[in-house]
Amino acid sequence: MPDIRDDEITKGAANNPDPNYWRSFEELHRDQSFINEINKEFKEGASESPDISGISAFSRRKFLALLGASAAFAGTACTNYRDKGEIIPYNKKPAEITIGKANYYASTCNGCSFACGVLIKTREGRPVKIDGNPDHPVSQGKICAQGQASIMGLYDPDRLKSPKSNNNNRFVDISWHDADAEIINELNNVGSKEIALITGNIVSPAENKLIHDFINKYPAAKVYSFEQFNESVRNNAWKKCYGTGEFPLIKWNQAEVVVSLDSDFLGMGANKIENTRLFAERRDVINKKFNRLYVVESNLSLTGMNADYRLKLRPDAQYAFVMAILNELRKRNAIDVSRDTGNFSLENFAGEYNLSKKDLNYLMDDLMNNRGRAIVYAGDQLPVNVHIAVNALNEYLGNSKLYNPDAEKINILPLSTYDELKNLAEKMKAGQVGMVIHYDANPVYNFPVNFNYEELLNNVDIIVSLTQVENESSINGNYILPVHHYLESWGDAKTRNGFYSLRQPVISPLYDTRQKEAILLNWINGEPSSFKETVYHEYLMDYWKTEVYPGLNSKLSFKTLWYGALHDGVVLKNEKVSLSFTFNSSVLADLPSSAINISGFAVHIKESYALKDGRYANNGWLQELPHPVSKVTWDNYAAVSSTTAKKLGLETNDLVEIKISDNSLTIPVLVQPGAADNSITIETGYGRTKAGTVGERVGFNANKLSNISTGLSPWLFTSAEVNKVPGNYKLVLAQTFYDFTQSLKQDLPKKRGIIKEGTVAEYLSNPGFMIHEEEKSKELPSVNPPFPYNKLKWGMSIDLNKCLSCGDCVVACLVENNIPVVGKDQVNVGREMHWLRIDRYYSGTMEDPAVSNQPMLCQQCDQAPCENVCPVLATTHSPDGLNQMIYNRCVGTRYCSNNCPYKVRRFNFFNFRDDFRDGYQESPVFALLQNPEVTVRSRGVMEKCTFCIQRIAEAKADAVREGKELKGSDVTTACKDACSTNAIKFGDINNKEEEFYKYRNHELGYYVLEELNIKPNVTYIAKLRNTHSEEA
Amino acid sequence: MKVSYLDYILRNRLPVTIFVAVAAFVLTFFASRAERDGVGYTPDQPINFSHKLHAGQMQIDCQYCHISVEKSRFAMVPAVETCMNCHKVARTDSPEIIKLTKYYNEGVALPWKRVHKVPDYAYFDHSVHIDKGIKCESCHGEIKNMNKVGQMNSFTMRNCLSCHRNSHERLPYIEGISKGPEYCYACHR
Repeated sequence: MPDIRDDEITKGAANNPDPNYWRSFEELHRDQSFINEINKEFKEGASESPDISGISAFSRRKFLALLGASAAFAGTACTNYRDKGEIIPYNKKPAEITIGKANYYASTCNGCSFACGVLIKTREGRPVKIDGNPDHPVSQGKICAQGQASIMGLYDPDRLKSPKSNNNNRFVDISWHDADAEIINELNNVGSKEIALITGNIVSPAENKLIHDFINKYPAAKVYSFEQFNESVRNNAWKKCYGTGEFPLIKWNQAEVVVSLDSDFLGMGANKIENTRLFAERRDVINKKFNRLYVVESNLSLTGMNADYRLKLRPDAQYAFVMAILNELRKRNAIDVSRDTGNFSLENFAGEYNLSKKDLNYLMDDLMNNRGRAIVYAGDQLPVNVHIAVNALNEYLGNSKLYNPDAEKINILPLSTYDELKNLAEKMKAGQVGMVIHYDANPVYNFPVNFNYEELLNNVDIIVSLTQVENESSINGNYILPVHHYLESWGDAKTRNGFYSLRQPVISPLYDTRQKEAILLNWINGEPSSFKETVYHEYLMDYWKTEVYPGLNSKLSFKTLWYGALHDGVVLKNEKVSLSFTFNSSVLADLPSSAINISGFAVHIKESYALKDGRYANNGWLQELPHPVSKVTWDNYAAVSSTTAKKLGLETNDLVEIKISDNSLTIPVLVQPGAADNSITIETGYGRTKAGTVGERVGFNANKLSNISTGLSPWLFTSAEVNKVPGNYKLVLAQTFYDFTQSLKQDLPKKRGIIKEGTVAEYLSNPGFMIHEEEKSKELPSVNPPFPYNKLKWGMSIDLNKCLSCGDCVVACLVENNIPVVGKDQVNVGREMHWLRIDRYYSGTMEDPAVSNQPMLCQQCDQAPCENVCPVLATTHSPDGLNQMIYNRCVGTRYCSNNCPYKVRRFNFFNFRDDFRDGYQESPVFALLQNPEVTVRSRGVMEKCTFCIQRIAEAKADAVREGKELKGSDVTTACKDACSTNAIKFGDINNKEEEFYKYRNHELGYYVLEELNIKPNVTYIAKLRNTHSEEA
Repeated sequence: MKVSYLDYILRNRLPVTIFVAVAAFVLTFFASRAERDGVGYTPDQPINFSHKLHAGQMQIDCQYCHISVEKSRFAMVPAVETCMNCHKVARTDSPEIIKLTKYYNEGVALPWKRVHKVPDYAYFDHSVHIDKGIKCESCHGEIKNMNKVGQMNSFTMRNCLSCHRNSHERLPYIEGISKGPEYCYACHR
């Protein structure tokens, strides 16, 4: 290839170093004008003084001076005051309202079948917080996370605002009158076809009468009451064993030993509030009374986390396990079993499932040594055979003493059996159902898939859905009738003998909705125009006057009693029951004589801790509440053990396909430490396709697997096929866990003193085992001069023996302190706003971890590290020991958060109310939800736990008004109010008379990261594990 | 370089400019202070209500109308109903009372112009101050002499603190009054 450069340049180039870099063709060809150009340092005109003659005489400086002066004069000349807006008083003030003061009304929750008593705090006529009603005999002032978060449902912008009817597959607004007229017409003309009324569990006596009135008026009507998660299996087993009634309540507080078989009795379902309270009474560090909890379960559950001994067992092997216990106890001559159990050897069983023989031995000893003081409790979802065997085991050991004979659950309207539901499905298939009424129920989502309910709806002429928010069952119907939230409704409930509870509205209906009972009542009246808002109120009062009042034998007049009952929320009734149980041992003979054939995978479908059966899917607070064990938010997953994951080549976030006969589901996997091998646990309640802005397309619908004909029970399946499928799905965890294989990181929380634990035996023999005098006496230097806190100083103590890590306190904090929902993507980058979180630490091995839980909130350190680094003094200390966070001073440097050793400060990276789901929380109606005593924070400020400063301020003002000295016991925080086990204590550190003082100065008390010498004001009471003394 | 010109700028022009700017700022700052703080703000009200007549001449107690002042954070502007307790019979022919009666009968809210305001981030509590024996006049001025209510004192944090720090001097009529709290959480949260 010839050189493109000519000779001359080639010669000249000899002087240039090689390689010859060139920047332009001019340079390459050595253009003369270019060479002249590059010899000059500056471009033409660049180094000469500019010619200013052509520029305007009006200089820049003059211009600026004029600008400044005119601005200054404009400012001086301004004489108008800023407008401060208006104050608009009531025209006629309701007598009970004092602006700025809350009113409390007693009512009854309708979140589930347990109808806990609630106390609703209203401000200026709008509910802002729901707490438990302390007068309620069962819930005793406590209420679960769902009950507290249910207030969001009242203000949900997705609520239906008027009735709708289906006009050529489009829903159009219709008046109540027209809707009622058309529906009444249909009800009358249904002919020989059936009217199916599908409802949840009915616990209200008045509503029950109403439904029977409805059936009397329309004889073609039939009621189907359905709850996806229920105690039917337990009750069936009870009926078989004892002939009558339902499974009784259990005196958990009298049990020395509790053996839970795949039962999450502390975490969810039946009677959680009462169970936890009674159970935690026996985890008492003041009176030194401790029970022992054995948990035998497949996936690590909330109950399992709190176990003293935990054994992993796939759920379909539970029957063989119970039979093996019976066999072993019989072998040890502890009990006399009326049938042969020889096929079940505990030793073989332990070998087969790799159970610790030592732990099993302890279990046997404990059962034998605590006759009548131990209880074996099988999970709701285990098959009936397990329950029968467990009943027998309890009977033989005399543990039936712990069944409570004085209290009985009441079943106002028994749930429909699966056979009845099957019957309904067949009738629908045959076109014999003319009308279906979804009475605040969502069968399309909740019914087992094998009913094929959604398709069968096509065979029904008229579908009417009574619901608050559109759901899967309403969208294909003919009419959608919006109903009141329970805070807008009247009602009553009877769940136990001994009392009734009442529900009253605490706000006028926000929209053009009606109470669901009133809708039925209007249909019974048959005259659409006769409707009054008070119609069900009157019906309820009539019912009470005629049916309830006479039975109360009260000396009060009905009106007086009624208003008293509304005030208290409950009416006690003197109904003494004394149940007697006689065990029918012949049922044992019918039990299979060998273990069921186990192959493939066991699949266990559980209720979600947060969303229950899916009814709370549109509640952002609950969606964002981390799962108590896995800390996953905004999703469900298939939990598998690490061994199983390895076998299938799975990692967390991989997708698997689970096949049970014809049903299949693709769902991401989470490798759960402590899960049993070859078993899969999925929580349902997710994967809603029509639930509202928040709840749609979140997670996966596990109900696709629920099938009553293929399982051991409707929730438990064996021989499932599990295959990895390509793809990935990101699960978002609010807290990850350490790599168990790295020895440096293993057990780090314990090594660093974040978690301190002991055993009961150790404590009883040496109560001060945690106190190291040499460390206490060391007075470390501090950056701040010491402040004498002589007066009232706030402190908190958290008893980790009682804390079960349920998360009720977290939700209480969210509601009390106006904490926004941030969404999955933001939780993923660690921006959740929870002021109070529950840390979960694993220790030990991936296969058999011990779990330690710890609620973590601002520790209000005396020597707070956050305060030293704030450049604008937005966070400082108060003389009553609080670390103050002042939003209007904060400029958002985030230094404080970086310097906080507990990582409890939260930064508003966005205005999350605007950021989440296109401003869903900015909807005007949401403003009513906010606690008016707490600032709504916007973008760019830091926030953190304040020890509920608004409650402290209110108590202080009350004390001034009454001329009293403020006491520590005058204030409770939202988290303390919510804790069903009373693990949280709050009060004055310096007041020796208070109960709190005992906990603050307890010998088991410790501070997290004590060695930093920052003097926290939150004391943790170290957890004691009640293991056998020889293990200590 | 035109050294002399730079010299001129530094010695003469710059000081003059700075002086004018600072003087203008200081002048504006002090001259407009009252307006900024709202002192002297006396808006027209929808109904020409006279505190001088009611509280002054007729000596109606403040708490007859501002009923929640010793119970709650808010003193509470009275409901129209409260006015009508008397004005169903008293002076029913006066044009202002006719206006008032119209509001009452139609059930329409009465939009009083707000005179006093502390920022939203300060949680001022009336009840604590009243229950400590502080008179309304100490902050609101001689209401009893006002035909039309205006703001008499500055409601800035500086003013709050000056009283909290020197309560003996500012509130000499209360015996043994202690200093008010000065920490942030006393007002902000």
